[in-house]
Amino acid sequence: MSYFSLLTINGLVIGLIYALTAAGLTLIFSVLRVVNFGHGALYMVGGYVSYYAIRYLGLPPLGGVVIAMGALFLFGIAFEMLVMRPVYSDEVERKDEYAIIVTFGLTILLSNLAIVVFGPFSKSPPPFMAGTLILGPIVLPYDRLIAALVAIALLCATTWFLARTTLGQALDAVSQSRESAAVIGINPRRMCTIAFGLGSALAGGAGALIAPIFALSPSMGDLPVVQAFIIIVIGGMGSVGGSIIGGILLGLAQSLGVGYLPDPNRALAYTQAFGALLLIITLLLRPTGLFGRAHLRLE
Amino acid sequence: MPVDQSQSFFSADGLAKHFGGIKAVSELSLSLNRGEIIGLIGPNGSGKTTTINMLAGALRPDNGAITINGLNLAGSAAHAFARSGVARTFQVPRLFRRMSVLENLIVPALSDPHTRRAQAEEKAHEILAFLRLDALAGDYARSLSGGQQKLLELGRALMLDPALILLDEPFAGVHPRLLEQIIEHIKQLNQRGLTIVVVDHNLDAIRSVVRRTAVMAQGRKIADGAAEVVLQDPAVVHAYTGSRKARNG
Amino acid sequence: MMRAATSSGKPAAVWVQAILLLFALLLPLWGGAYWVHVGALLWYYALLASSWALLAGFAGQFSFAHMAFAALGGYTSALIVLHMGISYLPAAIAAGIVLAMVVGALIGFMVLRLSGPYLALFTLAISEVFRMMLMAEEQITRGSLGLQVPRFFSGDSDVPYYYLGLALVAGSLLFMGFLLRTRIGLFLRAIREDEDATRASGVNTTRYKILVFVVTSGIASMAGIYYAHFIGILTPNMLILPEMGIVIAMAVIGGIESLPGAVIGAAIVYLLSEALREYGELRFVLLGLALILVQRFARNGLFPLIERIGRRPAPARADTTAKSTAEKSHAS
Repeated sequence: MSYFSLLTINGLVIGLIYALTAAGLTLIFSVLRVVNFGHGALYMVGGYVSYYAIRYLGLPPLGGVVIAMGALFLFGIAFEMLVMRPVYSDEVERKDEYAIIVTFGLTILLSNLAIVVFGPFSKSPPPFMAGTLILGPIVLPYDRLIAALVAIALLCATTWFLARTTLGQALDAVSQSRESAAVIGINPRRMCTIAFGLGSALAGGAGALIAPIFALSPSMGDLPVVQAFIIIVIGGMGSVGGSIIGGILLGLAQSLGVGYLPDPNRALAYTQAFGALLLIITLLLRPTGLFGRAHLRLE
Repeated sequence: MPVDQSQSFFSADGLAKHFGGIKAVSELSLSLNRGEIIGLIGPNGSGKTTTINMLAGALRPDNGAITINGLNLAGSAAHAFARSGVARTFQVPRLFRRMSVLENLIVPALSDPHTRRAQAEEKAHEILAFLRLDALAGDYARSLSGGQQKLLELGRALMLDPALILLDEPFAGVHPRLLEQIIEHIKQLNQRGLTIVVVDHNLDAIRSVVRRTAVMAQGRKIADGAAEVVLQDPAVVHAYTGSRKARNG
Repeated sequence: MMRAATSSGKPAAVWVQAILLLFALLLPLWGGAYWVHVGALLWYYALLASSWALLAGFAGQFSFAHMAFAALGGYTSALIVLHMGISYLPAAIAAGIVLAMVVGALIGFMVLRLSGPYLALFTLAISEVFRMMLMAEEQITRGSLGLQVPRFFSGDSDVPYYYLGLALVAGSLLFMGFLLRTRIGLFLRAIREDEDATRASGVNTTRYKILVFVVTSGIASMAGIYYAHFIGILTPNMLILPEMGIVIAMAVIGGIESLPGAVIGAAIVYLLSEALREYGELRFVLLGLALILVQRFARNGLFPLIERIGRRPAPARADTTAKSTAEKSHAS
């Protein structure tokens, strides 16, 4: 039972981080109608920003997370304004393609920049809190617990923000219909910029949270971003709630899969493939994802 | 004018379509003789666009049959409809923007494997002359003005050599001089024997080209007959205005 | 007859291509072993970039599975030769290509209803699943240890590979170019512009979408087979996402709507990255930046820009704005 609960808890923690990453991706997709192929790189940069903020500014580990989110928010805004703008002017004929290429270019740029600047070897930021919580059969290192709690807090905050604040509702409005939102006085361009900033911040936060647990490296975003893609397709592009559920389920499935499949080498490869297979099957059955609608949904 | 179903050239029988829980169209039946031109009108949300999409094969009806010249098309793919003689224009022109005007026109002609490129181009030039767009053959479609794009959209449909053409709001958003030109083209096409269904909101324009009109409201056909009669029908007036008084003029 | 669309065949472009071809033919004479090797590898990327340009640039199918077809071809051919003997090489090559085309048709069929980012993600997932299979089934594929593959030609020189690769590139360009000049090319471009309108014009878009997958996956598998029997070793690294990214970058930078453009893009990217080898990953930082900048400011890639420089000042027609057209025509 203990092995199972260990795997389950690990799976939950990872799942929450996936959910956070996917929530950011979903936010960007629903407002800008763009799949951000650079999301993994943003996640990775968040991890590194947090690391250096802790090391050089002497901040407590959670402070690093805050700085990472702030920095990525600003970066997201800048990138959106400089590069993504043409997506909604009439200049660009093939908007989907443009967005894929440009965000993919961002990944290439940032991943390699990270190798150049930070070096290819992994680094370990200090844990949020040393030690381990032991509660009956549950054994959970504190830093995973804290990462999970912060992730939950951020996810709740995001959901609350989208549902309750004026800005959040404005974002939702644009995600449903750009024209209608413009008619009632919301500036869609500004909302797109903000959405990209927020989505980037969430990715950065996820990276900063996972860094003490699994270490930093320039390629740390590669696999999580694929998982995030899978999650938003399955959970429905535009559904934050779907991202959360999907993220947790995927994290659990992967953790239990690796833990229980006999051959470790194949187990690792195939559990990673599992998510991809889910995506393939989902799109075959429902070309617009499981929960369909493209606008932001909160439940 | 009574239409004999058994001999009609084009007919739709009992078409129905629902999306989720909403019935967009129910029990729609329509019959046309060869060479007829009819209007299809109705307030927004009446199901006209869904109907046109079904008649053109772009949408598969949940129920019902669509027959042209005895051939049952329901359930076929959209391109099969086009190859069977049913052409349609789109409300907002959906041109191949980064291809030239000429290329836009030859695509439908070349969908017939027996048509050669030279033939297609020749025909395209004829159509361009008919529409008075000859000067634009080499331009990118996206550089055309709105009115020109509408004409090109019509031209592309004509390149299929259709027996029936479904015009989806041909008069929408068009300035008066071009409107007259379009009306004239439609009349000429009908005189040449083309069967035409015109969907639009511009009742005056419709009345100048058709004698018979069908009216839809809330997914059903509520009237079908001579235009002057239909437009005075209280049910039709009610559908449009909510009152039972006949329209003036 | 005025043609507004950019396709191969304009006078300046033909000159540029002819000069480059001549240069390519003569390179081994003065280039030295290193550059011949680089050139031979360039042809691998050129095949991939140009076929991907046909798939994504002309037909609008933005697929991330392209490298998977290269790997499929390479591994199939390699495994057949390894298990059945070198005399089976022609059969192995044919099998690799045919298998890739069949799988290509299958994938083309699966993605019919997908568009834009969904198609990209779907094909990305397929590629990843295949890569993981290659890694997991170590007994067969040797995984990341690498599968040793018998080479085409004996001896140490890369020159025969260079010319073989060049011939493959030239042949593919001729074939794809021919395809584009037929009505098939017209239909593919129309599909990219607006698939519904293309269907309403009587074109069976399903048939042509599957066709373009079959053709391009065949060429990609050819590239993979060439690579396998040239380099002599295969690993699942040939289809990691960064590799796909490089091919995309090559096509976009050179010109996603121009087959020779894609080849030139491959040349620019690959040769530059070789020349700047000492700068390590910084090269790819520049690649990412170049990709973003080219998309932002020269959406159709660099090759059409070069074309335009060489062309006589084109009559205003092809770039006419709505205003000046209105003055000309009587129809407004």
